[in-house]
Amino acid sequence: MAILEGRNLRKTYRLSRRNTVEALKGVEISIDQGEMVAIMGPSGSGKSTLMHILGLLHAPDPNHGPAPELRLAGEDMAALSDNARTRIRARRMGFVFQDFNLVPTLTALENVMLACEYAGIGGKQARQAGLEALALVGLEDRASHKPSELSGGEQQRVAVARALVNKPEIILADEPTGNLDSDRSAEVLALLREFNREHGQTIVLVTHDAEVGEACDRVIRMRDGRIRDQGQRAAAVAAPAMATPAAVAAMAGPAVATA
Amino acid sequence: MRLVRDLGRRKLRSALTITGIMIGIMALVVFGSMANKIDALVKGGSTYYKDKVVVSAKGGYMGLGGVLSTKMADQISALDGVDVVVAGVEMLLSDDQSGVSMGTPPMIDGSVADADKGRETFQINYATGRALTEQDEGSNVAVLGSDLARQFNAQVGDTVTLRDVQFKVVGILEPTLTAPDNSAMVPLAAAQQLFMKTLPTLVADKLDVNVIATSLVVYPEPGVDPQKIADEINASISGVTPMTGKDFDQEIGAATSMLNAILIGIGLISLLVGGLSVINTMAMSVAERTREIGIKRAIGASRWRIRREIVIESAVIGLIGGLLGLGLGYVITTLGNDAGRSSATILFDLTFGTAFSSVAFATILGATAGFIPAWHASRLDPVTALRYE
Ligand SMILES: Nc1ncnc2c1ncn2[C@@H]1O[C@H](COP(=O)(O)OP(=O)(O)OP(=O)(O)O)[C@@H](O)[C@H]1O
Ligand SMILES: [Mg+2]
Repeated sequence: MAILEGRNLRKTYRLSRRNTVEALKGVEISIDQGEMVAIMGPSGSGKSTLMHILGLLHAPDPNHGPAPELRLAGEDMAALSDNARTRIRARRMGFVFQDFNLVPTLTALENVMLACEYAGIGGKQARQAGLEALALVGLEDRASHKPSELSGGEQQRVAVARALVNKPEIILADEPTGNLDSDRSAEVLALLREFNREHGQTIVLVTHDAEVGEACDRVIRMRDGRIRDQGQRAAAVAAPAMATPAAVAAMAGPAVATA
Repeated sequence: MRLVRDLGRRKLRSALTITGIMIGIMALVVFGSMANKIDALVKGGSTYYKDKVVVSAKGGYMGLGGVLSTKMADQISALDGVDVVVAGVEMLLSDDQSGVSMGTPPMIDGSVADADKGRETFQINYATGRALTEQDEGSNVAVLGSDLARQFNAQVGDTVTLRDVQFKVVGILEPTLTAPDNSAMVPLAAAQQLFMKTLPTLVADKLDVNVIATSLVVYPEPGVDPQKIADEINASISGVTPMTGKDFDQEIGAATSMLNAILIGIGLISLLVGGLSVINTMAMSVAERTREIGIKRAIGASRWRIRREIVIESAVIGLIGGLLGLGLGYVITTLGNDAGRSSATILFDLTFGTAFSSVAFATILGATAGFIPAWHASRLDPVTALRYE
């Protein structure tokens, strides 16, 4: 079943009257529930722009031709107000960005708890969920560190913990491993993969790294504002039912209860 | 907690802004206290002059400057609607009024105790000692107002010198915040003697010391309009000026409300400058945090939440500045009053209302100043904000 469906998605950036950039030139995309999809393509091909539209950060342009469509779990996103889109971002999506991810004045734990706060979870519950999410990315002992006191890989893992803490249906990650060396990159990727396997979370990530692409269920290739290749779905997508008992136990608790 | 850390991150700029607000609030507190003091003086006068007519010699003012006769008191008593008339002699404590002083100058105030037959309603309380009585006529005793007592450093039982004559202090008043604080009350006869000495010999020789008065306080019968009595006095006696509560309010009230407006205006202008510096600080801190705001918006912070965060932050800047300004204003008014005590000029009256409204004003000012940058920040497109360098 498709969780994210887009049709006729266009985006033109208007720098001035004459100078416009057509970043997306009519994209059709469909992502299934529980899929882990990589989007690849040359720089400037519109990958980030597409992610922003899928993540409800940008509205697609209203077209002259066929109207753009964007559905989340079958629900039309086109006519939603800013507030409604913000609420969906807070409660049903998790974001990891390429470089600037964390609020510099807040500790790792506070950064993670921010996502809980916006999703309407506060107090002890948020703290508990935040600590668990940090434990999952192996950073429980860095909970009170500021971003400036963390390595690039650690910061990225904190961002992953923040994206996961509310157990959102969809995680959107724009080059989550872009700044990391191959070991760190494999670590972050393994984390996302684990989540996708154990909880059936849908993951869309942008990457330049062919290895990362191979680790995903499907690779969508973009070029010049269009999708060139929708990719081949991998034969078997591991079902959440296959999760090990230990992993389920690790995820149990308030975080699950509020998911 | 997070908020305090956010302020701490921009230490210098926050400190400068807080200092700006602090100075503005300090000015407001100091000038406001001054205005309070003036208000209290005026209100005291207004209460005193209510429901009575004070008669002074033409060209004189509030009992100063001209000579009347106690015989006039009998004349006025005979008028329709007049209940009691009290003759009094008032003069400046010292002819040397060098320097501009605020409030009422130190005065000597003589009248026969209880001559008003209980009609005077202006409330006076005794801190120590006793009130003057009719039996004090003929002796040199005095009751001192609170400021004057402090200036003389006098206790009940001490002797003070009023216009070169020694008086025994029998009572000291509690502060009234108005004229009596700065006056010495003496028996009528003693005041008449002192007054004679202030007159040129040529004039004095023609006067009978026992009938001298500088003011006549006329208490109308209950229910009689003081204005009607004033009109009657004008019609029947020449060379005098009757003054009613309404006259007082018009003359003094208008002048002081102008002065107060100027004082408060100065305070408000300094605050406006403080307010602009909050806008500046918040605008810069918002610009600095653009990417941070982008992240917050992207992961689900509503526009309203971003706005609230910034407005609260700037309100806290205002509150801190306000509290510091109040503290500084308190120190200044206290030191100022202590310094003025020796010359019996109490300039400031820092009331709870002034303190509270100054701090509240600073907080509201901060919040309002934060609102513009907050609005701007909340309108940012999350993606644009994220890309901001
Ligand atoms: N805010 C913007 N204003 C103007 N042009 C933009 C803006 N954002 C993106 N573009 C342009 O749109 C095109 C697509 O940009 P996008 O960021 O989606 O590419 P990308 O595939 O993510 O590239 P990269 O791999 O380098 O991140 C580019 O040509 C870019 O210059
Ligand atoms: Mg990109």
